[in-house]
Amino acid sequence: MSVGSAERGPRAGAQLADALGQVSATLRRSTVQLRERGRGAGAGVIWRDDGVVVTNAHVVAGAEAEVELWDGRRLPGRVVLRDPRRDLAVLVLDTGPLPAARIGSAAALRPGELVLALGNPLGWAGALALGVVHATEPPSEMGTATPRWVRADIRLAPGNSGGPLADAHGRVVGVNTLVVNGLGYAVPSEAVEHLLRRGVPATGHGGEWGRAA
Amino acid sequence: MQSTHPEATGVLAALSDELAGAAERAGRAVVAIHARRRIPASGVLWRPGVVVATHHTLEREEDLRVTLADGRSATAQLAGRDPATDLAVLRLEGDAAALPAAETADAGALRVGQLVLALGRPWEGGVTASLGVVSALAGEWRTGLGGRIDRLIRLDLSVRDGFSGGPLVDTQGRVLGINTSALARAAALTIPTATVERIAEQLLRSGRVARGFLGIATQPVRLPAALTQALGLTQEVGLLVVGVEPGGPAERAGLLLGDVLVSFAGTAVGEPAELAAQLGGERVGTAAELRLVRAGQVQALSVTIGERPRGRGR
Repeated sequence: MSVGSAERGPRAGAQLADALGQVSATLRRSTVQLRERGRGAGAGVIWRDDGVVVTNAHVVAGAEAEVELWDGRRLPGRVVLRDPRRDLAVLVLDTGPLPAARIGSAAALRPGELVLALGNPLGWAGALALGVVHATEPPSEMGTATPRWVRADIRLAPGNSGGPLADAHGRVVGVNTLVVNGLGYAVPSEAVEHLLRRGVPATGHGGEWGRAA
Repeated sequence: MQSTHPEATGVLAALSDELAGAAERAGRAVVAIHARRRIPASGVLWRPGVVVATHHTLEREEDLRVTLADGRSATAQLAGRDPATDLAVLRLEGDAAALPAAETADAGALRVGQLVLALGRPWEGGVTASLGVVSALAGEWRTGLGGRIDRLIRLDLSVRDGFSGGPLVDTQGRVLGINTSALARAAALTIPTATVERIAEQLLRSGRVARGFLGIATQPVRLPAALTQALGLTQEVGLLVVGVEPGGPAERAGLLLGDVLVSFAGTAVGEPAELAAQLGGERVGTAAELRLVRAGQVQALSVTIGERPRGRGR
């Protein structure tokens, strides 16, 4: 059934609004605020349920940052991986299981697809933005199927850095990193997975995945 | 762990799929035109072998190359351009002429609030998409250069590189017109399908869009109340003739510098745009009555409307 026909039903709009509310509520629980001493808050994504948080390298300059969860808990985070070239950093939290985000694929995105961003734009903690995928890169530019950036027509601001860009299913497809000419640029989730394959020190709360595979 | 229930969010995913599908379908007819320095301009394969673009994004008229949706390159010839409606038409050469064109639809069914996509191809890569809504609709209007646009379509969406010359697309992937950021200050507008058809037809046939021409320059002037009362005029403003082109239609009709035009073909004129609106291409070669105030008296002159020379305003 196409949405085109559903739109004519009296409740299609309400269903759409509900769905958007649910997807963003779920995504919000997997989004954290990150603070370093004397700096404003950036955002991060709970990538694994054993306390692995992904953000931008430019959000956490030092070795440690305070991580505030969706429920207000504040925990110390330790930076264990850093890739300045892709502007990525990985922190671990010493805590029990966390609501990890579902991870999607940036390579499968199509222009026009809906995307959601969560973060703390200009200090508005947990704020949602809605947009669409603006462009996917030509394969020739990379030589592989993974794009260098996900470009989204979405309104981002400082404080979105390090936060999730998700598809309509709520699956994280990228880490919001830059705004160029008004377009949001996100590092593809594949690049994060690639970095994580270097291995993260075991936190003691998860399984064996943390070792280099 | 918390996870979103697939059935509950299905409607969002379905909308997302539909938008991406619309971008993909319509995107097959969106091309990149290499006709300026910084980035390519967007264009739409409107009919087989015919690309419609915006006038203002084409910086050169020769040596035109077009990148098609499948990545292939084709050469193109400019069929014509119409600054007044900001439209230009190119003919593709070679194999590219056989490619299927966009599925167009009448923009008359658009409604304020309707979700729409603006597509572009401002690079060699894939199509680009922006999502927005139809922000305002109104009837026929005239551009600053007197071009007649069949419907005013204003969009609420972000104007990105490649916006102008790209298509406005509905959620079914149908092309409803050509987008432009050049016809109104700080507004994203769409030139509706009907206007594109009409102008493209003329450009393909004759390489230009004919417009009426009087050969005068005017500016609005307030008419003194005593004068309007004495002459039985109902308007407060007329058009003072501040320039008369030697040998032009107005001069041949006997119009003089300092005359104040009050009506053209029975329609009161108080703004240059109102006069321009009367000078459609269909009027070229026909006669019209000019009413003017000269030396405190109303006079009527018959003028044979000429055709505006290329590259000229009104």
